[in-house]
Amino acid sequence: MRSQVLTVILLVTIILGASLPFSYAYENTPRLTVGTQEIGLSAGYLLPTCTRSKCKTKQSGPAIMPSWMMTLTDPIGDSWYQGQISLGVEIVYIQFQEPVFSHGIGFTPRIKYTFVALDRIRPYVEFAGGPFWNDLAGNIPEQNSQFAFILTGGLGVSYFLSNQVALNVGYRFQHISNAHTSYPNAGLNSSLPFGGFSFYF
Amino acid sequence: MKAKLPLRWSIIGCCGLMIVTLTTGCARWVELMPTINSSQEPSVREIARDEQVPLVMNSVGITRNGSPQNLSLETEQRVLGTLREIGLFSHLGGTDSAEPPASEKFIRARLLFDETIDQHAGDTAWKGIVIAASMFTLTPFIPLKYDYATHVTLELERWDGQVKHYESHSAGTVHYQLFGATPLMIDELKGHVTESCLTALMQQMVNDTTFYTASSTPLFDRPMRSVSAKSQRSELAPVSVSLTSSSGK
Repeated sequence: MRSQVLTVILLVTIILGASLPFSYAYENTPRLTVGTQEIGLSAGYLLPTCTRSKCKTKQSGPAIMPSWMMTLTDPIGDSWYQGQISLGVEIVYIQFQEPVFSHGIGFTPRIKYTFVALDRIRPYVEFAGGPFWNDLAGNIPEQNSQFAFILTGGLGVSYFLSNQVALNVGYRFQHISNAHTSYPNAGLNSSLPFGGFSFYF
Repeated sequence: MKAKLPLRWSIIGCCGLMIVTLTTGCARWVELMPTINSSQEPSVREIARDEQVPLVMNSVGITRNGSPQNLSLETEQRVLGTLREIGLFSHLGGTDSAEPPASEKFIRARLLFDETIDQHAGDTAWKGIVIAASMFTLTPFIPLKYDYATHVTLELERWDGQVKHYESHSAGTVHYQLFGATPLMIDELKGHVTESCLTALMQQMVNDTTFYTASSTPLFDRPMRSVSAKSQRSELAPVSVSLTSSSGK
Protein backbone atom coordinates (compact mmCIF):
# COMPACT_ATOMS: atom_id res chain seq x y z
CA MET A 1 0.00 0.00 0.00
CA ARG A 2 2.78 2.42 1.03
CA SER A 3 4.84 1.65 -2.02
CA GLN A 4 1.76 2.35 -4.12
CA VAL A 5 1.44 5.74 -2.47
CA LEU A 6 5.08 6.50 -3.24
CA THR A 7 4.65 5.33 -6.80
CA VAL A 8 1.70 7.70 -7.12
CA ILE A 9 3.83 10.58 -5.71
CA LEU A 10 6.56 9.71 -8.19
CA LEU A 11 4.10 9.70 -11.07
CA VAL A 12 2.51 12.97 -9.91
CA THR A 13 5.99 14.56 -9.80
CA ILE A 14 6.70 13.45 -13.36
CA ILE A 15 3.26 14.51 -14.62
CA LEU A 16 3.53 17.90 -12.90
CA GLY A 17 6.93 18.41 -14.44
CA ALA A 18 5.69 17.41 -17.87
CA SER A 19 2.64 19.67 -17.70
CA LEU A 20 4.60 22.80 -16.82
CA PRO A 21 4.31 25.69 -19.30
CA PHE A 22 6.45 24.69 -22.27
CA SER A 23 5.09 27.66 -24.21
CA TYR A 24 7.42 29.95 -22.31
CA ALA A 25 10.47 27.86 -23.07
CA TYR A 26 12.01 30.22 -25.55
CA GLU A 27 11.61 33.51 -23.75
CA ASN A 28 14.76 35.35 -22.78
CA THR A 29 17.39 33.66 -20.66
CA PRO A 30 16.49 33.13 -17.01
CA ARG A 31 18.60 35.36 -14.80
CA LEU A 32 18.90 34.14 -11.27
CA THR A 33 20.37 36.78 -9.00
CA VAL A 34 21.55 36.84 -5.41
CA GLY A 35 18.60 36.07 -3.17
CA THR A 36 16.57 34.09 -5.71
CA GLN A 37 14.90 31.22 -3.91
CA GLU A 38 14.26 27.77 -5.26
CA ILE A 39 11.67 25.27 -4.11
CA GLY A 40 12.18 21.84 -5.54
CA LEU A 41 10.77 18.35 -5.48
CA SER A 42 12.70 15.38 -6.75
CA ALA A 43 12.00 11.69 -6.73
CA GLY A 44 14.08 8.69 -7.63
CA TYR A 45 14.81 5.08 -6.92
CA LEU A 46 17.63 3.99 -4.65
CA LEU A 47 19.83 1.18 -5.90
CA PRO A 48 22.62 -0.62 -4.00
CA THR A 49 26.16 0.27 -5.02
CA CYS A 50 28.86 -2.01 -3.82
CA THR A 51 32.22 -0.32 -3.35
CA ARG A 52 33.73 -3.07 -1.20
CA SER A 53 34.51 -6.67 -1.98
CA LYS A 54 31.70 -7.94 0.22
CA CYS A 55 28.30 -6.31 0.32
CA LYS A 56 25.65 -8.13 2.25
CA THR A 57 22.76 -5.70 2.13
CA LYS A 58 21.17 -4.84 -1.18
CA GLN A 59 19.03 -1.91 -0.10
CA SER A 60 16.64 -0.39 -2.57
CA GLY A 61 13.48 1.67 -2.68
CA PRO A 62 11.94 4.91 -3.81
CA ALA A 63 13.12 8.27 -2.48
CA ILE A 64 11.39 11.65 -2.29
CA MET A 65 13.41 14.86 -1.79
CA PRO A 66 11.67 18.20 -1.26
CA SER A 67 14.16 21.06 -1.01
CA TRP A 68 14.60 24.78 -0.52
CA MET A 69 17.61 26.71 -1.79
CA MET A 70 18.86 30.27 -1.93
CA THR A 71 21.10 31.64 -4.69
CA LEU A 72 24.14 33.10 -2.97
CA THR A 73 26.04 34.61 -5.89
CA ASP A 74 25.53 36.11 -9.30
CA PRO A 75 27.36 34.19 -12.06
CA ILE A 76 31.04 33.79 -11.21
CA GLY A 77 33.66 33.53 -13.92
CA ASP A 78 33.42 34.18 -17.64
CA SER A 79 34.25 30.87 -19.28
CA TRP A 80 32.61 27.43 -19.53
CA TYR A 81 32.78 27.12 -15.75
CA GLN A 82 30.75 30.27 -15.18
CA GLY A 83 28.24 29.47 -12.50
CA GLN A 84 26.35 30.28 -9.36
CA ILE A 85 26.44 28.94 -5.83
CA SER A 86 23.25 28.05 -4.00
CA LEU A 87 22.74 26.96 -0.43
CA GLY A 88 19.74 25.32 1.11
CA VAL A 89 18.24 22.33 2.81
CA GLU A 90 16.65 19.14 1.71
CA ILE A 91 14.53 16.52 3.36
CA VAL A 92 15.33 13.03 2.14
CA TYR A 93 12.75 10.36 2.62
CA ILE A 94 13.63 6.82 1.55
CA GLN A 95 11.26 3.92 1.72
CA PHE A 96 13.45 0.86 1.74
CA GLN A 97 11.76 -2.04 -0.06
CA GLU A 98 14.74 -4.33 0.30
CA PRO A 99 16.11 -6.12 2.29
CA VAL A 100 13.21 -5.36 4.67
CA PHE A 101 10.43 -2.87 4.35
CA SER A 102 11.57 0.15 6.38
CA HIS A 103 11.91 3.90 6.29
CA GLY A 104 14.57 6.55 6.54
CA ILE A 105 14.28 10.30 6.79
CA GLY A 106 17.05 12.88 6.84
CA PHE A 107 17.51 16.62 7.02
CA THR A 108 20.48 17.73 4.99
CA PRO A 109 22.01 21.13 4.29
CA ARG A 110 22.81 21.21 0.59
CA ILE A 111 25.22 23.26 -1.49
CA LYS A 112 25.05 23.41 -5.27
CA TYR A 113 27.16 24.91 -8.04
CA THR A 114 25.19 25.49 -11.23
CA PHE A 115 26.96 26.07 -14.54
CA VAL A 116 25.13 28.84 -16.40
CA ALA A 117 27.14 29.14 -19.60
CA LEU A 118 24.70 26.94 -21.58
CA ASP A 119 21.72 29.26 -21.26
CA ARG A 120 18.60 27.20 -20.42
CA ILE A 121 20.42 23.91 -19.95
CA ARG A 122 22.29 24.17 -16.68
CA PRO A 123 24.39 21.31 -15.37
CA TYR A 124 25.17 21.31 -11.68
CA VAL A 125 27.13 19.53 -9.00
CA GLU A 126 25.80 19.23 -5.48
CA PHE A 127 26.76 18.04 -2.06
CA ALA A 128 24.55 17.43 0.93
CA GLY A 129 24.90 15.81 4.28
CA GLY A 130 23.12 15.58 7.59
CA PRO A 131 21.44 13.43 10.19
CA PHE A 132 19.37 10.49 9.00
CA TRP A 133 16.97 8.43 11.03
CA ASN A 134 16.09 4.98 9.79
CA ASP A 135 14.61 1.74 11.01
CA LEU A 136 16.54 -0.34 8.56
CA ALA A 137 19.31 -0.48 11.17
CA GLY A 138 19.11 -3.56 13.35
CA ASN A 139 17.78 -5.56 10.45
CA ILE A 140 21.04 -5.50 8.55
CA PRO A 141 24.57 -6.49 9.57
CA GLU A 142 26.14 -3.13 8.56
CA GLN A 143 24.25 -0.84 10.95
CA ASN A 144 22.73 -1.22 14.38
CA SER A 145 21.85 2.36 15.26
CA GLN A 146 18.75 4.08 13.99
CA PHE A 147 20.50 7.43 14.19
CA ALA A 148 22.90 7.77 11.28
CA PHE A 149 24.17 10.29 8.78
CA ILE A 150 23.61 10.54 5.09
CA LEU A 151 26.15 12.06 2.72
CA THR A 152 25.28 12.81 -0.87
CA GLY A 153 27.29 13.91 -3.89
CA GLY A 154 25.64 14.27 -7.24
CA LEU A 155 25.50 15.61 -10.75
CA GLY A 156 22.44 16.87 -12.51
CA VAL A 157 21.05 18.99 -15.28
CA SER A 158 18.32 21.60 -15.03
CA TYR A 159 16.36 22.58 -18.07
CA PHE A 160 14.53 25.87 -17.68
CA LEU A 161 11.05 25.64 -19.14
CA SER A 162 10.48 29.28 -18.23
CA ASN A 163 12.29 31.87 -16.14
CA GLN A 164 10.69 30.40 -13.04
CA VAL A 165 10.44 26.69 -13.67
CA ALA A 166 13.07 24.06 -14.38
CA LEU A 167 13.05 20.32 -14.87
CA ASN A 168 15.89 18.43 -13.21
CA VAL A 169 17.39 15.03 -13.84
CA GLY A 170 20.52 13.65 -12.30
CA TYR A 171 22.42 11.03 -10.42
CA ARG A 172 23.45 10.92 -6.78
CA PHE A 173 25.79 8.77 -4.83
CA GLN A 174 24.66 8.30 -1.24
CA HIS A 175 26.49 7.02 1.75
CA ILE A 176 24.72 6.14 4.98
CA SER A 177 26.69 5.44 8.13
CA ASN A 178 26.66 6.33 11.82
CA ALA A 179 30.06 8.06 11.87
CA HIS A 180 31.35 5.57 14.46
CA THR A 181 28.79 6.63 17.01
CA SER A 182 27.93 2.96 17.44
CA TYR A 183 29.12 -0.47 16.38
CA PRO A 184 29.01 -1.86 13.74
CA ASN A 185 29.54 0.92 11.23
CA ALA A 186 29.89 -0.47 7.78
CA GLY A 187 28.45 2.14 5.46
CA LEU A 188 25.66 1.59 3.01
CA ASN A 189 26.37 3.00 -0.42
CA SER A 190 23.68 3.64 -2.97
CA SER A 191 23.06 5.12 -6.37
CA LEU A 192 20.07 7.35 -6.80
CA PRO A 193 18.99 8.37 -10.28
CA PHE A 194 16.32 11.03 -9.89
CA GLY A 195 14.07 13.49 -11.68
CA GLY A 196 12.06 16.47 -10.50
CA PHE A 197 11.34 20.12 -10.91
CA SER A 198 12.21 23.43 -9.29
CA PHE A 199 10.30 26.64 -8.97
CA TYR A 200 12.29 29.90 -8.68
CA PHE A 201 11.02 33.12 -7.12
CA MET B 1 6.42 18.17 37.93
CA LYS B 2 10.20 18.21 38.10
CA ALA B 3 10.43 16.07 34.99
CA LYS B 4 8.30 18.55 33.07
CA LEU B 5 10.52 21.51 33.88
CA PRO B 6 13.46 20.62 31.59
CA LEU B 7 11.01 19.83 28.79
CA ARG B 8 9.32 23.18 29.24
CA TRP B 9 12.65 24.98 29.21
CA SER B 10 13.72 22.99 26.18
CA ILE B 11 10.59 24.05 24.32
CA ILE B 12 11.05 27.68 25.41
CA GLY B 13 14.72 27.50 24.40
CA CYS B 14 13.88 26.04 20.99
CA CYS B 15 11.19 28.68 20.41
CA GLY B 16 13.65 31.41 21.47
CA LEU B 17 16.32 30.06 19.15
CA MET B 18 13.85 29.91 16.28
CA ILE B 19 12.69 33.48 16.92
CA VAL B 20 16.28 34.76 17.14
CA THR B 21 17.24 32.87 13.97
CA LEU B 22 14.21 34.07 12.04
CA THR B 23 14.51 37.69 13.16
CA THR B 24 18.24 38.28 13.12
CA GLY B 25 18.74 35.73 10.35
CA CYS B 26 16.49 37.79 8.09
CA ALA B 27 18.20 41.13 8.75
CA ARG B 28 19.61 43.30 5.99
CA TRP B 29 20.70 46.89 5.68
CA VAL B 30 22.21 49.15 3.09
CA GLU B 31 25.31 51.18 3.87
CA LEU B 32 26.07 54.10 1.57
CA MET B 33 29.56 55.52 1.41
CA PRO B 34 29.58 59.31 1.63
CA THR B 35 30.17 61.07 -1.67
CA ILE B 36 31.19 64.63 -2.35
CA ASN B 37 28.11 66.85 -2.29
CA SER B 38 26.05 63.91 -1.08
CA SER B 39 24.59 66.01 1.72
CA GLN B 40 23.23 68.55 -0.69
CA GLU B 41 20.05 68.17 -2.64
CA PRO B 42 20.39 69.42 -6.19
CA SER B 43 19.25 73.01 -5.84
CA VAL B 44 16.99 74.44 -8.45
CA ARG B 45 18.00 77.83 -9.80
CA GLU B 46 15.58 80.24 -11.30
CA ILE B 47 15.84 80.23 -15.05
CA ALA B 48 13.49 82.06 -17.39
CA ARG B 49 11.50 79.82 -19.70
CA ASP B 50 12.80 81.59 -22.80
CA GLU B 51 16.34 81.03 -21.51
CA GLN B 52 15.94 77.28 -21.46
CA VAL B 53 17.31 75.19 -24.29
CA PRO B 54 16.59 71.54 -25.10
CA LEU B 55 18.92 68.70 -24.21
CA VAL B 56 19.31 65.62 -26.35
CA MET B 57 20.97 62.47 -25.14
CA ASN B 58 23.56 61.61 -27.75
CA SER B 59 24.88 58.38 -26.26
CA VAL B 60 24.57 56.31 -23.11
CA GLY B 61 27.28 53.82 -22.33
CA ILE B 62 27.20 51.27 -19.54
CA THR B 63 30.08 49.15 -18.37
CA ARG B 64 30.05 46.62 -15.57
CA ASN B 65 33.36 45.62 -14.02
CA GLY B 66 34.97 46.94 -17.18
CA SER B 67 32.79 45.00 -19.63
CA PRO B 68 30.45 46.91 -21.95
CA GLN B 69 26.77 46.20 -21.34
CA ASN B 70 23.63 46.58 -23.37
CA LEU B 71 22.02 49.97 -23.21
CA SER B 72 19.48 50.14 -20.41
CA LEU B 73 16.47 52.30 -21.22
CA GLU B 74 15.66 52.29 -17.53
CA THR B 75 19.00 53.97 -16.76
CA GLU B 76 18.50 56.54 -19.49
CA GLN B 77 14.98 57.32 -18.31
CA ARG B 78 16.22 57.72 -14.77
CA VAL B 79 18.89 60.21 -15.81
CA LEU B 80 16.41 62.12 -17.94
CA GLY B 81 13.98 62.16 -15.01
CA THR B 82 16.63 63.61 -12.73
CA LEU B 83 17.53 66.22 -15.35
CA ARG B 84 13.85 67.11 -15.62
CA GLU B 85 13.69 67.68 -11.87
CA ILE B 86 16.39 70.36 -11.89
CA GLY B 87 14.50 72.27 -14.57
CA LEU B 88 17.50 73.57 -16.51
CA PHE B 89 16.30 72.47 -19.92
CA SER B 90 13.17 73.15 -21.91
CA HIS B 91 12.89 69.69 -23.39
CA LEU B 92 14.70 66.40 -22.83
CA GLY B 93 15.20 63.88 -25.58
CA GLY B 94 16.46 60.33 -25.27
CA THR B 95 18.95 58.58 -27.53
CA ASP B 96 16.09 57.61 -29.83
CA SER B 97 15.00 61.24 -30.25
CA ALA B 98 15.97 63.25 -33.30
CA GLU B 99 18.35 66.17 -32.75
CA PRO B 100 16.91 69.66 -33.25
CA PRO B 101 17.97 71.40 -36.47
CA ALA B 102 21.48 72.88 -36.48
CA SER B 103 20.00 76.38 -36.56
CA GLU B 104 18.64 75.89 -33.01
CA LYS B 105 20.43 76.08 -29.73
CA PHE B 106 20.55 72.80 -27.88
CA ILE B 107 22.76 70.74 -25.59
CA ARG B 108 24.11 67.38 -26.63
CA ALA B 109 24.73 64.94 -23.75
CA ARG B 110 26.97 61.90 -23.57
CA LEU B 111 26.65 59.69 -20.54
CA LEU B 112 28.83 56.86 -19.28
CA PHE B 113 27.84 54.63 -16.37
CA ASP B 114 30.71 52.60 -15.05
CA GLU B 115 29.42 50.06 -12.54
CA THR B 116 31.60 48.02 -10.23
CA ILE B 117 30.12 45.01 -8.51
CA ASP B 118 31.89 42.97 -5.90
CA GLN B 119 29.71 40.16 -4.66
CA HIS B 120 32.48 38.59 -2.52
CA ALA B 121 31.76 35.24 -4.13
CA GLY B 122 34.60 33.31 -2.51
CA ASP B 123 33.84 34.72 0.90
CA THR B 124 30.15 33.95 0.46
CA ALA B 125 30.88 30.39 -0.64
CA TRP B 126 33.01 29.68 2.43
CA LYS B 127 30.49 31.29 4.73
CA GLY B 128 27.78 29.23 3.04
CA ILE B 129 29.67 26.04 3.79
CA VAL B 130 30.09 27.06 7.43
CA ILE B 131 26.39 27.95 7.70
CA ALA B 132 25.41 24.63 6.14
CA ALA B 133 27.80 22.70 8.39
CA SER B 134 26.25 24.35 11.43
CA MET B 135 22.80 23.23 10.27
CA PHE B 136 21.95 26.94 9.80
CA THR B 137 22.29 27.76 13.50
CA LEU B 138 25.12 30.21 12.70
CA THR B 139 22.97 32.08 10.17
CA PRO B 140 22.34 35.10 12.45
CA PHE B 141 26.03 35.42 13.26
CA ILE B 142 27.49 35.24 9.75
CA PRO B 143 26.68 38.34 7.72
CA LEU B 144 27.10 38.33 3.96
CA LYS B 145 27.67 41.39 1.82
CA TYR B 146 27.37 42.71 -1.72
CA ASP B 147 29.18 45.85 -2.90
CA TYR B 148 28.04 48.12 -5.68
CA ALA B 149 29.72 51.29 -6.90
CA THR B 150 29.00 53.50 -9.84
CA HIS B 151 31.01 56.19 -11.54
CA VAL B 152 29.00 58.44 -13.81
CA THR B 153 30.60 60.65 -16.41
CA LEU B 154 28.44 63.21 -18.17
CA GLU B 155 29.65 65.33 -21.04
CA LEU B 156 27.47 68.22 -22.10
CA GLU B 157 28.26 69.90 -25.37
CA ARG B 158 26.81 73.34 -25.91
CA TRP B 159 25.58 74.59 -29.30
CA ASP B 160 28.82 76.52 -29.81
CA GLY B 161 30.92 73.38 -29.37
CA GLN B 162 32.07 74.03 -25.80
CA VAL B 163 32.07 70.94 -23.65
CA LYS B 164 31.55 70.63 -19.91
CA HIS B 165 32.65 67.48 -18.20
CA TYR B 166 31.05 66.21 -14.97
CA GLU B 167 31.93 63.19 -12.91
CA SER B 168 30.45 61.63 -9.85
CA HIS B 169 31.17 58.51 -7.85
CA SER B 170 29.07 56.69 -5.33
CA ALA B 171 29.36 53.34 -3.56
CA GLY B 172 27.38 51.24 -1.17
CA THR B 173 27.19 47.85 0.47
CA VAL B 174 24.25 45.73 1.41
CA HIS B 175 24.85 43.62 4.49
CA TYR B 176 22.50 40.71 4.93
CA GLN B 177 21.96 37.44 6.67
CA LEU B 178 21.20 34.35 4.58
CA PHE B 179 17.45 34.32 5.20
CA GLY B 180 17.22 38.02 4.42
CA ALA B 181 18.63 37.66 0.93
CA THR B 182 16.29 38.71 -1.85
CA PRO B 183 16.82 40.09 -5.37
CA LEU B 184 14.99 43.18 -4.13
CA MET B 185 17.85 44.14 -1.81
CA ILE B 186 20.27 44.38 -4.76
CA ASP B 187 17.79 46.61 -6.59
CA GLU B 188 17.46 48.73 -3.44
CA LEU B 189 21.24 49.06 -3.16
CA LYS B 190 21.63 50.00 -6.82
CA GLY B 191 18.77 52.45 -6.51
CA HIS B 192 20.28 54.23 -3.51
CA VAL B 193 23.78 54.36 -5.00
CA THR B 194 22.57 55.62 -8.37
CA GLU B 195 20.38 58.23 -6.72
CA SER B 196 23.28 59.46 -4.62
CA CYS B 197 25.55 59.59 -7.65
CA LEU B 198 23.06 61.45 -9.83
CA THR B 199 22.30 63.91 -7.03
CA ALA B 200 25.97 64.83 -6.79
CA LEU B 201 26.18 65.10 -10.57
CA MET B 202 23.14 67.36 -10.83
CA GLN B 203 24.54 69.59 -8.11
CA GLN B 204 27.61 70.18 -10.24
CA MET B 205 25.44 70.95 -13.25
CA VAL B 206 23.21 73.36 -11.37
CA ASN B 207 26.31 75.29 -10.34
CA ASP B 208 26.91 75.91 -14.06
CA THR B 209 23.38 77.10 -14.78
CA THR B 210 24.51 80.24 -16.58
CA PHE B 211 26.52 78.14 -19.01
CA TYR B 212 23.33 76.55 -20.34
CA THR B 213 21.11 79.61 -20.66
CA ALA B 214 20.17 80.57 -24.20
CA SER B 215 21.68 84.01 -23.79
CA SER B 216 25.02 82.70 -22.56
CA THR B 217 26.51 82.71 -26.01
CA PRO B 218 25.18 83.43 -29.50
CA LEU B 219 24.47 80.71 -31.99
CA PHE B 220 27.56 80.62 -34.14
CA ASP B 221 27.79 78.48 -37.16
CA ARG B 222 27.94 75.02 -35.78
CA PRO B 223 31.39 73.51 -35.87
CA MET B 224 31.96 71.15 -38.73
CA ARG B 225 32.27 67.79 -37.20
CA SER B 226 34.58 65.16 -38.58
CA VAL B 227 34.93 61.76 -37.06
CA SER B 228 37.82 59.47 -37.71
CA ALA B 229 37.37 55.89 -36.69
CA LYS B 230 40.15 53.37 -36.65
CA SER B 231 39.76 49.71 -35.91
CA GLN B 232 42.37 47.59 -34.25
CA ARG B 233 42.31 43.84 -34.35
CA SER B 234 43.94 43.15 -31.05
CA GLU B 235 42.23 45.59 -28.73
CA LEU B 236 39.46 48.09 -28.55
CA ALA B 237 40.53 51.60 -29.37
CA PRO B 238 38.62 54.77 -28.50
CA VAL B 239 37.06 56.65 -31.37
CA SER B 240 38.81 59.96 -31.74
CA VAL B 241 36.64 62.94 -32.53
CA SER B 242 38.11 66.14 -33.87
CA LEU B 243 36.15 69.35 -34.13
CA THR B 244 36.93 72.01 -36.67
CA SER B 245 35.04 75.28 -36.52
CA SER B 246 33.72 76.30 -39.91
CA SER B 247 33.45 79.89 -38.70
CA GLY B 248 37.10 80.31 -39.39
CA LYS B 249 36.66 79.63 -43.09
